[in-house]
Amino acid sequence: MTAIDEYINTIIGQGAHEAHTDGSATIEAHHLLLAIAAGRETATHQALTSAGLDHQAIRDALDREFEHSLNAAGVPLTTFDLPKPSSAATPPSQLGASAKLALERGFASVSRKKDLRPAHLLLGILQAQIGTVPRTLTLAGVDQADLTARVQRTLTGEDG
Amino acid sequence: MSGAENPVPQEPADALAAVAALRRLADRIEDAAVEQAMRAGWSWPQVAEALGVTRQAVHKKHAKRLIAAGVTLRRR
Repeated sequence: MTAIDEYINTIIGQGAHEAHTDGSATIEAHHLLLAIAAGRETATHQALTSAGLDHQAIRDALDREFEHSLNAAGVPLTTFDLPKPSSAATPPSQLGASAKLALERGFASVSRKKDLRPAHLLLGILQAQIGTVPRTLTLAGVDQADLTARVQRTLTGEDG
Repeated sequence: MSGAENPVPQEPADALAAVAALRRLADRIEDAAVEQAMRAGWSWPQVAEALGVTRQAVHKKHAKRLIAAGVTLRRR
C-alpha cells in the first residue's frame, strides 16, 4: 500500500469515527474535513489553521450550520427534548454522496494517481460550492476561495 | 464573522439546506424516540405502526444499536 493509500484510509477511518459521534449512518464530506483537521499531515493542517480552522472550530461551525438551517424552516433545535439516543454499535462504513463527490473531485485534480497528495483530498472537499461544507465555512467566517487557493499553493510549492 | 446572520442569500440554497437539516433532525429524533419506546416495553410492531413503516424496516434500522446499548427487546 502506498503512503497516499494509507493516508486516504486513515482519513476515511477517522471520518467514520466522526460520523459515529455525529449519529450519522454515512460518512459525509464534513466528516472527512473534521478527520483532516484532526490529522497531523503538515500541509493540510497548516492551510486549515491559517484560516482559523481546527477540529473544534469546524465542529462548532457545523453545529451552527445545523441550527441555522433548521431555523430557516422555522424549527428550533430544542423542539424535542428527548434523551440522547445510544450510538450505533459500530461506526458507519458507507460513504455518503457528499464524501464520494469530494473524493472524486480530489482524485480528478491529478492525471496520475502517483501525483495524488493529502492536500488533494482537502481540495476535493473544498471544491464543493453547495452543501454543508461551504455553508459551514461561510458561517465560520472563512473565505472558501481564499482557503482553496492556499491549499492549491501548497501543492505547487509556492507556499511555505 | 461578517454576514453570519444571513450567510447564503439564495433562497433555494437555504430551503434545500433546511430539508437536509430536517432529515438529520428527524433521524436523530427517531433514534431517540424508538429507543425510549423500546426501553418502555413497546414491541417492534407497535413502534413500526406508530412510525408508519414496516416492522422489518424499523428492526433493520434500530435492532443492532439497541442490542449493543443493552436494551431488552420484546420479541413481539
